[in-house]
Amino acid sequence: MLESPTADVILDALASVLLVVGGLMSLAAGIGLVRLPDLHSRMHAATKPQVLGLLALLLAAAITWRSWEQVPIVVLAWGLLLLTAPVSAHVVGRSGYRTKHMRRDLLTHDELASAVERISREQPPNRG
Amino acid sequence: MLETAVHITQVLLALGAAGTVYRIYKGPSVLDRVISLDVMLIIVASMMIVDMVINDHQDFILFVVVTAVIGFLGAVAIARYVVVRSPEEVVPDAPAHDPVPFPPAVPVSSSSQQAGEPETPHQPISTPVMPGVGPLEDESTSWFSALARSGFTPKRREGPMPEEAEPESQQPPAPESPQPPEPESQPDSTPKPESTSSPQQQEDRDA
Repeated sequence: MLESPTADVILDALASVLLVVGGLMSLAAGIGLVRLPDLHSRMHAATKPQVLGLLALLLAAAITWRSWEQVPIVVLAWGLLLLTAPVSAHVVGRSGYRTKHMRRDLLTHDELASAVERISREQPPNRG
Repeated sequence: MLETAVHITQVLLALGAAGTVYRIYKGPSVLDRVISLDVMLIIVASMMIVDMVINDHQDFILFVVVTAVIGFLGAVAIARYVVVRSPEEVVPDAPAHDPVPFPPAVPVSSSSQQAGEPETPHQPISTPVMPGVGPLEDESTSWFSALARSGFTPKRREGPMPEEAEPESQQPPAPESPQPPEPESQPDSTPKPESTSSPQQQEDRDA
């Protein structure tokens, strides 16, 4: 349906921009993983290419294919990432907090610490 | 134009993968390596997408789908078995161990550099210890074990209380039959409210 040369050029330009954006997300993740000081800030950088970068690359691929047949599986791939990335980030972050793989001197405010203190005051442990 | 964009993207992905490999190699803890491996997997999937774009085929799209699931399972499974850092290296109120807040970007793997890394565990290989159990327990993880040991369950009300039985019986008679456990649990108090409420009901009917 889009056989005119101008539409082809426009779609190619869009796909090119999306490809470069996706590559930039991965580059940002790499730089962030190298430069950032502790686990949770590295996680902040590491989740960039998981959702936005892969979305850009999948959109670019779907645009260059010029067919609707591959769109459901592209949506499946991205939706699966969108569902699983927060869960794994949550699990890793919680595990990192509990096992103290973090630098407390870099924190400005620890909201979870006050919550932990309040819970342990309301629920004293019955040891024995 | 598309080929140029593909080449640029490949270079960017390669640089990102280089940073990821550096963090996997250098990463002071297992969790750093886990998130780096996650990013590595995503970059591999991105490489497959770029290959599909430049060669115009759709062979690898299922691998991209599988990649998402594998990264998720790996992160969740490894994060379950992370060793608690030993307490002597956790000094929460002390000033910064390292005057430079960022680790050096240049991958120098000398021993002095490793000592300067603030998160390097003293024993990189140790037996997995459940968090909150044993001598490694301290303030920031003890709340979890305390919550686990306290056997906290939301309290359930067992049967109607005697304070509640009287106002229920003083209410106007409901068309439904009363609940069966009520007269069984309070056999002595049930005649009283009926005797006191029956004149009130008669007065209400007269008025």
